[in-house]
Amino acid sequence: MPDRLQKPQPPAPAPGDGGGGGPKAPDVTKPNTDDLLKRMRRVDPEQAKRYRQRTGE
Amino acid sequence: MEIQFGIETEIGITREHPEGLDVVAESIALVRSATAPGVRHCWDYSLEDPHRDMRGFTVGELRQDTDESNYFALDSQRALTFHEIKSDLVLRNGARFYNDHAHPEYCSPECSTLFEALQQDYAGDTLLAACAKTMNEKTNNPIRLYKNNTDLLGHSYGCHENYLMPRRLAWDTLCQGMVAMFVTRQILCGSGKFGWEEEDRFLQPGFQISQRSDFFTEMQSVDTMQRRPLINTRDEPHANAEAFRRFHVIIGDANLSLFSHYLKIGTTAIVLQSMLNGAPLERFPKIEDPLSTLKQISRDTTWKWECRTTEGHATTGIEIQRQYLQIAREYCASEPADWLQLLNDWEEVLNDLERDPMRAADRLDWVAKFRLLDQFREAEGLQKDDPWLQSLDLSYHLLDHEQGLFYGLMQQGSFRLPYPIADLCHGRLTPPMTTRAAVRGYCIERFGPAVELTQWDHVTLRSGDKRIELDLRNLFDVNLIRQSLKVIGAAQTVDDLRYLPFAKLV
Repeated sequence: MPDRLQKPQPPAPAPGDGGGGGPKAPDVTKPNTDDLLKRMRRVDPEQAKRYRQRTGE
Repeated sequence: MEIQFGIETEIGITREHPEGLDVVAESIALVRSATAPGVRHCWDYSLEDPHRDMRGFTVGELRQDTDESNYFALDSQRALTFHEIKSDLVLRNGARFYNDHAHPEYCSPECSTLFEALQQDYAGDTLLAACAKTMNEKTNNPIRLYKNNTDLLGHSYGCHENYLMPRRLAWDTLCQGMVAMFVTRQILCGSGKFGWEEEDRFLQPGFQISQRSDFFTEMQSVDTMQRRPLINTRDEPHANAEAFRRFHVIIGDANLSLFSHYLKIGTTAIVLQSMLNGAPLERFPKIEDPLSTLKQISRDTTWKWECRTTEGHATTGIEIQRQYLQIAREYCASEPADWLQLLNDWEEVLNDLERDPMRAADRLDWVAKFRLLDQFREAEGLQKDDPWLQSLDLSYHLLDHEQGLFYGLMQQGSFRLPYPIADLCHGRLTPPMTTRAAVRGYCIERFGPAVELTQWDHVTLRSGDKRIELDLRNLFDVNLIRQSLKVIGAAQTVDDLRYLPFAKLV
C-alpha cells in the first residue's frame, strides 16, 4: 500500500438496527467442568459416520 | 504494515438426521435466513477469473472446471436463478456471505490490523450461529454448522487467507521464502484431527495436528479443489493489478481459537512484510521434500516435528519457526506495537511447544482439542481408535454456544485471548475503519437499496437514470478513506456520492 496505516478513527456509521448480525461476547460466567463433561457425553458416538460433505475449495 | 488481509471460510453443514439431505438447498436456505443488514444478489461475477496465473500465463482450465460444470448443471435444475442459488449477501461490515456450491461461506472484509481480523472473523462465526439458531426454531431436525475443513471421508473444504500486498516482491522469491513457513506453521495454527485421510478416502484413526495437511499433493498450481498446491498461483488481485498482488493461501485450517487465528494471520503477514522490507532469500529456511514433510509433521504425535533442510541438516518444525521469527524481529522492528506483541506471543508459544505442547492448550486449537478428547478418552476407558473420538472432534467445531465443545471450553475460561473479548465483540456489525471495506460497508448502510453491483474493488449504485461506480482498486490511503466516509455520511442522496474522488458516472 502506498501509505503506512496510522489507525485513524474516522466517524463510525450512525447507530442503527443490529439486525441479528451483531457479535456479542460469549457467556463466560459458567466455569463448570461438569457441564463440559455432560456436553461431551451427549455427543452421539455415531455422529461422524453420518457426516458427509461435498468437496469444497 | 503494508499488507491487508481477509479470510474466506467454507462451513460444513448438515442436520442431526441427515438422511436424504440436500446440502445445496440447506446452504442456500441458511444464507437466506440471515437477518443482518446488507444487500442481496448484487455480487458482480462478471469480472471474476480464477484462471490467471501468477507465473505470467492463463490456464485453459482448472482441474475443478468439470466438477463446477457438473454442479452447475445440477443446480440449474433448481427453480432458482444463478444469483438466487449463490444468495450473496454483502454485509454492513463489508463482508460477503454466500452459498459456495454446497457450503455457506463467510468472507471477512479487508483488515489492516490483527484486532480487526479477529473482530471480523468472530463476527462471521456469530452470524453463522445466529442463522442456525433461527432455522432451528421450528424443527425437530436441527441444522448443524461446523467450522472445520473435512468430513473425515476425504472431502475437504477450505479456509483461505488473502494477503493483499505490493507487487514489487518477485513471485518466485515470495514462493521460495514461504514454503517452509506453510509446512511448519501448522504447529501453531492447526485445528487438530482424529483421523488420517487422503482425497476421497478415510485412511485410518489417529490424531494429527492439522485438518488440511492430508490434502496437499502439489508444490504450485492455480487449482484449489483437486490436487491442491502448497502455493496457490491464482492471480486475481481485486485491486490495481499493476501495483498489487493478492497472495491467496489455501493451506490453512479454520480456527475457532482466536489466538490460533491471530497467530496464523499475524505470523504469515509479518513474514511477508519482512520480505517486502528486504530480508534476503538466503536467510529463509528451506525444507527437504516439503509435501512429505507437511504430512509427517502433522501426523507426528511425538511432538518433535523432526525434518531436514535442503542441505540435509536435521532440524525441527520449531527451529524453522524460530528462524522465521528471528527474520521478522530483524526486518519488522519498526512495525506498530501490536505487531511486536505478536512476535512475543509467537516466541512464547514456540517455547511452550518445545517444553510441553500441552502448555499451549489455552491458545492453540489442536492442543486444546487433543487434551480435552484425550482426557475424556482416558476417563471413559476408550481405545485410541474409538470412532466416538471422531464425533467428539466434529463437536469441537460445532458453531453452537450451547453444544459446541470449543464454546464449552471458552465458557470455562480455558482460552487466552490476544485482545479483551468485550472489545472484540462490541455488539454491532461494523467494518474495519482502516480499509476500503469501510467505504463499501458505509455505502451499503446508507444507500443499500440503490446498490446494484458490488465486488471487492468496486461498488455501483443507481441514481435516477444514472449509475455511479466507485472504483476501489487504488483506495488504500487511510486519510482518503477517512475523508470519503465523511462525504458518504454527509450525502443527502446517492447522487452526492459523485463527489468522491474515485467515483465516476457510467
